[in-house]
Amino acid sequence: MDDKFLALADTVKEGDIDKGVAEVEKLLAGGVKPVALFTECIEPTLNILGQQFSVLEIFLPELMIAADVVNAIQEVVEPILRESGEANISKGTAVIATVYGDLHDIGKNMVSLMMQVNGFKVYDMGVDVSPQALLAKSEEVDADLLCLSGLMMPSMPFMRETIELAKANPKLADMKIMVGGGPVTDQWASDNNADGYADDAMGAVKKGIELVA
Amino acid sequence: MNHRIRLFDVIERSLSGEVMSERDFDMKKIAIETQKMVKKYDINFKGDNFLMHDQGFLNRVWDAGIELLATTGVYSKDTGRVISYTEAEIRDLIKLAPKEAIYGADGDAVLEVSRTPDDTRLVTNMGGSVSVPMPNEYFVPCMMSYIQEPLVEMHCPTTNMEISNGMEIRTKSPLEIIAAWEEVKLFRYASSILGREGMAHHGIGISVSDIGQLATSFMMKKTDSHCIGIISELKVDNTILNKIAQTVMLDAQANPYANPIYGGLGGGVNGQLVLMTAEMIACSIIFLGTTVGTTPTHPNLFISTNKELMQITSIVFAAISTNSNIMTRLTQTMAGGPVTKTLLYEVIASTIAATKSGVSRLQGPRSATGAVTGACSGLEARLQGEVIRAAVGLTQEKAEEIIQKAYSMYVDDLKTQPYGKPFWEAYDVHSIKPSDEWQKMYEDVKNEAISWGLPL
Ligand code: B12
Repeated sequence: MDDKFLALADTVKEGDIDKGVAEVEKLLAGGVKPVALFTECIEPTLNILGQQFSVLEIFLPELMIAADVVNAIQEVVEPILRESGEANISKGTAVIATVYGDLHDIGKNMVSLMMQVNGFKVYDMGVDVSPQALLAKSEEVDADLLCLSGLMMPSMPFMRETIELAKANPKLADMKIMVGGGPVTDQWASDNNADGYADDAMGAVKKGIELVA
Repeated sequence: MNHRIRLFDVIERSLSGEVMSERDFDMKKIAIETQKMVKKYDINFKGDNFLMHDQGFLNRVWDAGIELLATTGVYSKDTGRVISYTEAEIRDLIKLAPKEAIYGADGDAVLEVSRTPDDTRLVTNMGGSVSVPMPNEYFVPCMMSYIQEPLVEMHCPTTNMEISNGMEIRTKSPLEIIAAWEEVKLFRYASSILGREGMAHHGIGISVSDIGQLATSFMMKKTDSHCIGIISELKVDNTILNKIAQTVMLDAQANPYANPIYGGLGGGVNGQLVLMTAEMIACSIIFLGTTVGTTPTHPNLFISTNKELMQITSIVFAAISTNSNIMTRLTQTMAGGPVTKTLLYEVIASTIAATKSGVSRLQGPRSATGAVTGACSGLEARLQGEVIRAAVGLTQEKAEEIIQKAYSMYVDDLKTQPYGKPFWEAYDVHSIKPSDEWQKMYEDVKNEAISWGLPL
């Protein structure tokens, strides 16, 4: 990584929002292209954090604070990008939730965070979300990807129904659906018409990128 | 103080406490305050030992847990408020924790006691691979494989995947109510045909929301163990408070538990020590638990038998049991499944570690991560009961030595996770006897453990 980006990378690792935004403003004023902030600094930094988290060298809170800094930076940079007509830095828009009746959110949160730090615009609807609410949100934000987490058998029918309703909805014809969580397998995903499955958060990012490409 | 009065107090605080967003609670209260307590109390665990003898360290973990709970409180997701107790209130309420309780009735009653690490009184053996998904046709035979074991004293059923007419179960629907009825009725049926109708039921497992538990509460006995999972980390919602309210109004025994996730908001070993202690205290004083549980889970392996989690639970049980009467329960979650030696070695290591740290009850073994359809059988719960009996008389040094030995036998399997065979291949499902292969494996591992000095 170029030396000029090291200070920005540190603010992401340390979770310092104010310093991160200030550093971005400084770099932009110095002529750095907004897209380069992401491709040359933020993405590689987050990649390292993601790797470290997947082997538990760092823990969830460190990833959460990094995501906070990146979200704040995105807010500063996005209007500039829109104006300048530079390439979109977002990999796609994703809606994520744990399915109806299910309160387990730790795995879902990890997937949500890893998707955020890897460039997706993520709408996290939390836990215990009905098929209807998921579809309404997907329409509202014009989602490219719907991510469903489910850990318990008695909630699995609702995951299946969400997929059925989404596939029958012409407004969501282009949206892909990715599923995961304990009882879900590759086989379950294909039997139930989901577009993709992954068994951990890193895999979810990879699969998500592949699906929206 | 009467539990109903305490319940009103909890409800009142959930309606009047500080307003906060869930995200702020997770980050500013749990993540940040946990690390502050780690620093303030100098919780700096190092080493390879599974058992901890430094009472000064244990006392610091205990004090840090109390101060953490006083700082964070418990977040009510439904009211968006924090249920807070001061440190002085927490310390007073801890003194009200019961020293003993009876679970089950008549000849099947078991006296559960508040233990200390070197207590020779027994740990209750609640045998059952709680909530493992189980096809309906094997639901009763599998339950019987546990209940028929003389050393299994209480039982927690698997997750029945269909109700008896073949319909798939859906939470928050009439099917949850019907499934909950069937869980209680089938448990009573299985226990009565085995002549153990007094045995305590830990349930309702299938009551994913509150409705299953509320609908069947008249079928549950006061001596049953009412299972109530609070939300990690230190959160609650009304479905959970509803279950607690019903248990309290019935004058029955609440068994709340928390499932901290290693590497999650509490961070690594040191943070988990403080957070798990705070959670178990919360289960006692706020969720009014007779016995309070924990199901710590590794986020990539989905088990509790890796080194760090066994160290964490041993230290927390020792800290709690040497500082209070609170009766604790561990759900042991293993990587191995039936017909693997891995599972048996894990049972030996984890059971000794918890027993020699002062735990009051063991739940499990939850075989093959608890998430693999059909992967559990009664034989592993027999071993759990036998190991408890053999472990209570060991010195701490000998216990440590055997845990290390057993751990070395399975550590390499934790990543490959040998799920073994499902119940219907591990047992003859008509005679409810382990297959010759499984029986022999069990005897071989037992003999091996005897040769290490475990008096099985
Ligand atoms: C923690 C936990 C709880 C906590 C949850 C706290 C929280 N904030 O989430 C609490 C205590 C609340 C809880 C309650 C219950 N639980 Co629970 N719980 C667990 C436990 C121990 C760990 C789950 C976990 O967080 N794992 C760690 C995370 C990181 O893993 P993960 O969620 O699988 O996610 C990873 C992958 O699956 C994947 N992934 C996840 N989501 C997605 C989504 C997408 C799109 C993709 C691509 C990938 C992906 O990536 C993640 C990161 O690597 C599991 C047991 C286990 N071994 O898994 C039981 C388990 C899931 N629970 C179970 C049960 C039965 C319950 C209860 C009904 C118990 C009861 N009777 O009260 C209640 C139900 C409450 C409810 N309405 O949901 C059963 C489910 C059985 C089944 N298959 O039906 C399990 C399997 C344990 C068991 N055998 O008892 N539980």
